[in-house]
Amino acid sequence: MLRLKILLLIAFGIFPAFGFVGSNMAYPIKWVLTNECTLKVNGSTNINKFSCVIPEYTKPDTLIFYKEQKNEPVKMSGSMALDVQNFDCHNPVMTSDLRKTLKVKIYPKIIIRFLSLNRYPDPNKKTDLIKGMVTIELAGTIRRYEVDYKYTAKENDNLNLIGTRQVKFSDFNINPPRKLGGMIKTDDELNVEFILNARILN
Amino acid sequence: MKKIVLPGLISGVVLFILSYGGLYLGIRFFPGLFMDYNNPLFNSESNRDGFFYMHAFVISFALSWFWDRFKGLFHGHFIFRGLEFGFVYAIVALLPVMWITFSAMDITLFMVLSWFIYGFVQAVVAGLLFSKLNP
Repeated sequence: MLRLKILLLIAFGIFPAFGFVGSNMAYPIKWVLTNECTLKVNGSTNINKFSCVIPEYTKPDTLIFYKEQKNEPVKMSGSMALDVQNFDCHNPVMTSDLRKTLKVKIYPKIIIRFLSLNRYPDPNKKTDLIKGMVTIELAGTIRRYEVDYKYTAKENDNLNLIGTRQVKFSDFNINPPRKLGGMIKTDDELNVEFILNARILN
Repeated sequence: MKKIVLPGLISGVVLFILSYGGLYLGIRFFPGLFMDYNNPLFNSESNRDGFFYMHAFVISFALSWFWDRFKGLFHGHFIFRGLEFGFVYAIVALLPVMWITFSAMDITLFMVLSWFIYGFVQAVVAGLLFSKLNP
Protein backbone atom coordinates (compact mmCIF):
# COMPACT_ATOMS: atom_id res chain seq x y z
CA MET A 1 0.00 0.00 0.00
CA LEU A 2 2.79 2.32 0.91
CA ARG A 3 4.59 1.53 -2.38
CA LEU A 4 1.40 2.32 -4.30
CA LYS A 5 1.12 5.70 -2.55
CA ILE A 6 4.71 6.47 -3.44
CA LEU A 7 4.14 5.49 -7.08
CA LEU A 8 1.02 7.66 -7.24
CA LEU A 9 2.88 10.56 -5.69
CA ILE A 10 5.64 10.22 -8.27
CA ALA A 11 3.19 9.85 -11.15
CA PHE A 12 0.83 12.72 -10.30
CA GLY A 13 2.95 14.93 -8.09
CA ILE A 14 6.59 15.18 -8.93
CA PHE A 15 6.70 14.45 -12.69
CA PRO A 16 4.13 17.11 -13.63
CA ALA A 17 6.00 19.56 -11.47
CA PHE A 18 9.19 18.82 -13.40
CA GLY A 19 7.30 19.22 -16.64
CA PHE A 20 5.89 22.57 -15.58
CA VAL A 21 9.24 23.90 -14.48
CA GLY A 22 11.02 22.60 -17.52
CA SER A 23 8.69 24.24 -19.99
CA ASN A 24 8.98 27.74 -18.49
CA MET A 25 12.24 28.14 -16.63
CA ALA A 26 15.12 29.54 -18.60
CA TYR A 27 18.53 28.19 -17.76
CA PRO A 28 20.58 30.81 -15.98
CA ILE A 29 23.94 32.08 -17.16
CA LYS A 30 26.21 33.49 -14.52
CA TRP A 31 28.76 36.25 -14.85
CA VAL A 32 31.12 36.76 -11.94
CA LEU A 33 32.29 40.33 -11.60
CA THR A 34 36.06 40.31 -11.47
CA ASN A 35 38.48 43.00 -10.44
CA GLU A 36 38.66 46.55 -11.74
CA CYS A 37 34.98 47.31 -11.99
CA THR A 38 34.65 51.09 -11.79
CA LEU A 39 32.01 53.78 -11.62
CA LYS A 40 32.72 57.17 -13.16
CA VAL A 41 30.60 60.31 -12.84
CA ASN A 42 31.28 63.24 -15.16
CA GLY A 43 29.72 66.61 -14.54
CA SER A 44 30.33 70.31 -14.85
CA THR A 45 29.90 73.62 -13.10
CA ASN A 46 29.89 77.09 -14.67
CA ILE A 47 33.63 77.30 -13.88
CA ASN A 48 34.98 73.80 -14.48
CA LYS A 49 34.33 70.19 -15.39
CA PHE A 50 34.82 67.34 -12.98
CA SER A 51 35.28 63.63 -13.27
CA CYS A 52 34.86 61.54 -10.18
CA VAL A 53 35.53 57.84 -10.04
CA ILE A 54 35.17 54.94 -7.68
CA PRO A 55 38.30 53.27 -8.96
CA GLU A 56 38.08 49.73 -7.70
CA TYR A 57 35.17 47.49 -7.01
CA THR A 58 36.44 44.05 -6.22
CA LYS A 59 33.52 42.37 -4.52
CA PRO A 60 32.90 39.03 -6.23
CA ASP A 61 29.25 39.73 -7.08
CA THR A 62 27.42 37.57 -9.57
CA LEU A 63 25.09 38.65 -12.36
CA ILE A 64 22.58 35.99 -13.38
CA PHE A 65 20.87 36.02 -16.77
CA TYR A 66 17.68 34.10 -17.42
CA LYS A 67 18.06 33.52 -21.11
CA GLU A 68 15.15 32.04 -23.05
CA GLN A 69 15.37 32.71 -26.77
CA LYS A 70 18.11 34.37 -28.76
CA ASN A 71 17.39 38.07 -29.48
CA GLU A 72 14.73 38.25 -26.81
CA PRO A 73 14.86 40.41 -23.69
CA VAL A 74 16.85 38.76 -20.93
CA LYS A 75 15.97 39.10 -17.29
CA MET A 76 18.89 39.69 -14.97
CA SER A 77 19.55 39.67 -11.30
CA GLY A 78 22.53 40.98 -9.44
CA SER A 79 23.79 44.28 -8.17
CA MET A 80 26.79 46.41 -7.32
CA ALA A 81 26.94 48.25 -4.01
CA LEU A 82 29.57 50.97 -4.14
CA ASP A 83 30.89 53.07 -1.29
CA VAL A 84 30.30 56.79 -1.84
CA GLN A 85 33.29 57.36 0.45
CA ASN A 86 35.52 55.85 -2.27
CA PHE A 87 34.71 58.57 -4.81
CA ASP A 88 37.83 60.33 -6.01
CA CYS A 89 37.50 63.58 -8.00
CA HIS A 90 41.31 63.98 -8.36
CA ASN A 91 41.01 67.07 -6.13
CA PRO A 92 40.54 66.55 -2.38
CA VAL A 93 38.31 69.60 -1.99
CA MET A 94 35.97 68.57 -4.80
CA THR A 95 35.98 64.98 -3.57
CA SER A 96 34.77 65.98 -0.13
CA ASP A 97 32.22 68.37 -1.66
CA LEU A 98 30.75 65.57 -3.81
CA ARG A 99 30.60 63.21 -0.83
CA LYS A 100 28.77 65.85 1.17
CA THR A 101 26.36 66.51 -1.72
CA LEU A 102 25.59 62.79 -1.97
CA LYS A 103 24.94 62.73 1.81
CA VAL A 104 27.55 60.05 2.45
CA LYS A 105 27.01 60.06 6.20
CA ILE A 106 23.34 59.12 5.84
CA TYR A 107 23.50 57.11 2.61
CA PRO A 108 26.98 55.55 2.32
CA LYS A 109 26.21 53.29 -0.68
CA ILE A 110 25.32 53.69 -4.33
CA ILE A 111 23.52 50.54 -5.42
CA ILE A 112 23.11 49.60 -9.07
CA ARG A 113 20.68 46.73 -9.59
CA PHE A 114 20.71 45.06 -12.97
CA LEU A 115 17.22 44.19 -14.16
CA SER A 116 17.38 43.18 -17.83
CA LEU A 117 19.07 43.39 -21.21
CA ASN A 118 17.14 43.88 -24.42
CA ARG A 119 19.00 40.74 -25.64
CA TYR A 120 21.87 38.58 -24.52
CA PRO A 121 25.19 39.65 -26.10
CA ASP A 122 25.98 37.69 -29.24
CA PRO A 123 28.92 35.40 -28.29
CA ASN A 124 30.05 35.31 -31.93
CA LYS A 125 30.66 39.05 -31.97
CA LYS A 126 33.76 40.62 -30.52
CA THR A 127 31.82 43.75 -29.58
CA ASP A 128 28.13 44.41 -29.33
CA LEU A 129 25.89 47.35 -28.48
CA ILE A 130 22.89 46.56 -26.32
CA LYS A 131 20.50 48.26 -23.98
CA GLY A 132 19.32 47.27 -20.56
CA MET A 133 17.37 48.35 -17.54
CA VAL A 134 18.87 49.11 -14.15
CA THR A 135 17.83 50.82 -10.99
CA ILE A 136 20.22 53.24 -9.30
CA GLU A 137 19.83 53.89 -5.61
CA LEU A 138 21.48 57.11 -4.53
CA ALA A 139 20.94 59.27 -1.46
CA GLY A 140 17.98 57.14 -0.43
CA THR A 141 16.11 57.45 -3.74
CA ILE A 142 15.75 54.67 -6.30
CA ARG A 143 15.34 55.50 -9.99
CA ARG A 144 14.92 53.17 -12.95
CA TYR A 145 16.91 53.88 -16.12
CA GLU A 146 17.55 52.44 -19.55
CA VAL A 147 21.31 52.12 -20.00
CA ASP A 148 23.38 51.88 -23.18
CA TYR A 149 25.91 49.07 -22.94
CA LYS A 150 28.97 48.30 -24.98
CA TYR A 151 29.92 44.66 -24.69
CA THR A 152 33.43 43.48 -25.53
CA ALA A 153 34.38 39.81 -25.47
CA LYS A 154 37.81 38.92 -24.21
CA GLU A 155 39.83 35.75 -23.91
CA ASN A 156 38.89 32.81 -21.65
CA ASP A 157 35.23 33.73 -21.20
CA ASN A 158 36.14 37.13 -19.85
CA LEU A 159 34.19 40.16 -20.95
CA ASN A 160 33.91 43.86 -20.50
CA LEU A 161 30.60 45.69 -20.28
CA ILE A 162 30.48 49.48 -20.26
CA GLY A 163 27.17 51.04 -19.30
CA THR A 164 26.51 54.74 -19.81
CA ARG A 165 23.58 56.88 -18.84
CA GLN A 166 22.83 60.53 -18.22
CA VAL A 167 21.13 61.18 -14.89
CA LYS A 168 20.26 64.29 -12.93
CA PHE A 169 20.95 65.31 -9.35
CA SER A 170 17.29 66.28 -9.16
CA ASP A 171 16.22 62.71 -10.08
CA PHE A 172 17.49 61.76 -6.63
CA ASN A 173 16.07 64.81 -4.85
CA ILE A 174 19.57 66.29 -4.53
CA ASN A 175 20.09 69.98 -5.09
CA PRO A 176 23.13 70.51 -7.33
CA PRO A 177 25.79 72.31 -5.27
CA ARG A 178 25.88 76.10 -5.60
CA LYS A 179 28.35 78.48 -3.99
CA LEU A 180 28.60 82.23 -3.38
CA GLY A 181 24.91 82.88 -3.56
CA GLY A 182 24.50 80.78 -6.71
CA MET A 183 27.26 82.52 -8.68
CA ILE A 184 29.06 79.18 -8.92
CA LYS A 185 26.55 76.54 -9.99
CA THR A 186 26.85 72.84 -10.68
CA ASP A 187 24.87 71.61 -13.68
CA ASP A 188 22.03 69.27 -12.81
CA GLU A 189 23.08 66.68 -15.40
CA LEU A 190 25.66 63.99 -14.72
CA ASN A 191 27.03 61.39 -17.08
CA VAL A 192 27.36 58.07 -15.30
CA GLU A 193 29.57 55.33 -16.70
CA PHE A 194 30.11 51.96 -15.07
CA ILE A 195 32.65 49.50 -16.33
CA LEU A 196 32.10 45.87 -15.49
CA ASN A 197 34.73 43.23 -15.98
CA ALA A 198 33.28 39.76 -15.66
CA ARG A 199 33.89 36.11 -16.38
CA ILE A 200 31.20 33.81 -17.76
CA LEU A 201 30.79 30.79 -15.51
CA ASN A 202 28.72 28.41 -17.58
CA MET B 1 20.84 109.35 12.28
CA LYS B 2 20.05 110.67 8.81
CA LYS B 3 23.77 111.28 8.31
CA ILE B 4 24.36 107.56 8.82
CA VAL B 5 21.36 105.96 7.10
CA LEU B 6 21.30 107.83 3.79
CA PRO B 7 25.04 107.56 3.03
CA GLY B 8 24.87 103.92 4.22
CA LEU B 9 22.03 103.19 1.84
CA ILE B 10 23.71 104.90 -1.13
CA SER B 11 26.98 103.18 -0.34
CA GLY B 12 25.11 99.85 -0.05
CA VAL B 13 23.67 100.21 -3.54
CA VAL B 14 27.04 101.21 -5.02
CA LEU B 15 28.90 98.40 -3.23
CA PHE B 16 26.20 95.91 -4.22
CA ILE B 17 26.68 96.75 -7.90
CA LEU B 18 30.48 96.88 -7.73
CA SER B 19 30.96 93.83 -5.49
CA TYR B 20 28.58 91.37 -7.09
CA GLY B 21 29.16 92.75 -10.57
CA GLY B 22 32.90 92.34 -10.05
CA LEU B 23 32.40 88.86 -8.64
CA TYR B 24 30.21 87.88 -11.58
CA LEU B 25 32.75 89.17 -14.09
CA GLY B 26 35.61 87.54 -12.18
CA ILE B 27 33.88 84.16 -12.25
CA ARG B 28 33.02 84.56 -15.91
CA PHE B 29 36.45 85.63 -17.16
CA PHE B 30 38.79 84.05 -14.59
CA PRO B 31 36.99 80.84 -13.60
CA GLY B 32 40.23 79.15 -12.55
CA LEU B 33 40.57 81.54 -9.62
CA PHE B 34 37.30 80.29 -8.15
CA MET B 35 37.88 76.54 -8.30
CA ASP B 36 38.65 76.34 -4.58
CA TYR B 37 35.13 77.44 -3.74
CA ASN B 38 33.89 73.93 -4.67
CA ASN B 39 34.59 73.10 -1.09
CA PRO B 40 32.24 71.77 1.61
CA LEU B 41 33.33 74.70 3.80
CA PHE B 42 31.13 76.91 1.65
CA ASN B 43 27.38 76.64 1.93
CA SER B 44 25.81 74.72 -0.98
CA GLU B 45 22.18 75.42 -0.20
CA SER B 46 20.18 78.41 -1.37
CA ASN B 47 18.66 79.13 2.05
CA ARG B 48 21.36 81.70 2.92
CA ASP B 49 21.57 83.51 -0.43
CA GLY B 50 19.69 86.47 1.04
CA PHE B 51 22.35 86.91 3.72
CA PHE B 52 25.07 86.68 1.09
CA TYR B 53 23.59 89.46 -1.03
CA MET B 54 22.78 91.65 1.99
CA HIS B 55 26.48 91.82 2.89
CA ALA B 56 26.99 94.99 0.81
CA PHE B 57 24.38 96.78 2.90
CA VAL B 58 25.57 95.36 6.23
CA ILE B 59 29.14 96.56 5.63
CA SER B 60 27.90 99.91 4.28
CA PHE B 61 25.78 100.73 7.33
CA ALA B 62 28.54 99.58 9.70
CA LEU B 63 31.14 101.71 7.89
CA SER B 64 28.75 104.65 7.68
CA TRP B 65 28.34 104.59 11.46
CA PHE B 66 32.11 104.24 11.90
CA TRP B 67 32.73 107.17 9.53
CA ASP B 68 30.25 109.39 11.35
CA ARG B 69 31.98 108.70 14.68
CA PHE B 70 35.58 109.14 13.51
CA LYS B 71 35.48 111.28 10.34
CA GLY B 72 37.25 114.08 12.20
CA LEU B 73 40.40 111.96 12.19
CA PHE B 74 40.57 111.82 8.38
CA HIS B 75 41.90 115.00 6.82
CA GLY B 76 42.72 116.31 3.36
CA HIS B 77 41.36 115.67 -0.10
CA PHE B 78 38.35 113.38 -0.29
CA ILE B 79 40.37 110.78 -2.18
CA PHE B 80 43.01 110.71 0.52
CA ARG B 81 40.32 110.54 3.25
CA GLY B 82 38.67 107.59 1.45
CA LEU B 83 41.97 105.76 1.05
CA GLU B 84 42.96 106.32 4.68
CA PHE B 85 39.53 105.18 5.84
CA GLY B 86 39.85 101.97 3.82
CA PHE B 87 43.36 101.42 5.14
CA VAL B 88 42.24 101.84 8.77
CA TYR B 89 39.36 99.39 8.25
CA ALA B 90 41.70 96.89 6.59
CA ILE B 91 44.25 97.04 9.42
CA VAL B 92 41.82 97.16 12.35
CA ALA B 93 39.09 94.77 11.15
CA LEU B 94 40.19 92.75 8.13
CA LEU B 95 43.74 91.78 8.99
CA PRO B 96 43.00 90.07 12.34
CA VAL B 97 39.92 88.30 10.94
CA MET B 98 41.76 87.09 7.83
CA TRP B 99 44.68 86.00 9.99
CA ILE B 100 42.56 83.80 12.26
CA THR B 101 40.52 82.53 9.30
CA PHE B 102 43.62 81.39 7.44
CA SER B 103 45.09 79.78 10.54
CA ALA B 104 41.93 77.87 11.46
CA MET B 105 40.26 76.93 8.18
CA ASP B 106 41.27 74.80 5.24
CA ILE B 107 41.48 77.62 2.71
CA THR B 108 44.27 78.84 0.45
CA LEU B 109 46.46 81.90 0.98
CA PHE B 110 45.23 83.24 -2.36
CA MET B 111 41.65 83.05 -1.14
CA VAL B 112 42.42 84.96 2.06
CA LEU B 113 44.44 87.61 0.22
CA SER B 114 41.62 88.08 -2.29
CA TRP B 115 39.13 88.58 0.56
CA PHE B 116 41.48 91.09 2.19
CA ILE B 117 41.82 93.11 -1.01
CA TYR B 118 38.08 92.81 -1.71
CA GLY B 119 37.27 94.20 1.76
CA PHE B 120 39.89 96.94 1.46
CA VAL B 121 38.47 98.10 -1.91
CA GLN B 122 34.93 98.05 -0.49
CA ALA B 123 36.01 100.22 2.44
CA VAL B 124 37.88 102.67 0.18
CA VAL B 125 34.84 103.06 -2.10
CA ALA B 126 32.61 103.55 0.95
CA GLY B 127 35.10 106.09 2.38
CA LEU B 128 35.14 108.08 -0.87
CA LEU B 129 31.34 108.20 -0.87
CA PHE B 130 31.10 109.15 2.82
CA SER B 131 33.66 111.94 2.47
CA LYS B 132 31.38 113.48 -0.16
CA LEU B 133 27.98 112.63 1.38
CA ASN B 134 28.85 113.21 5.05
CA PRO B 135 31.97 115.36 5.07
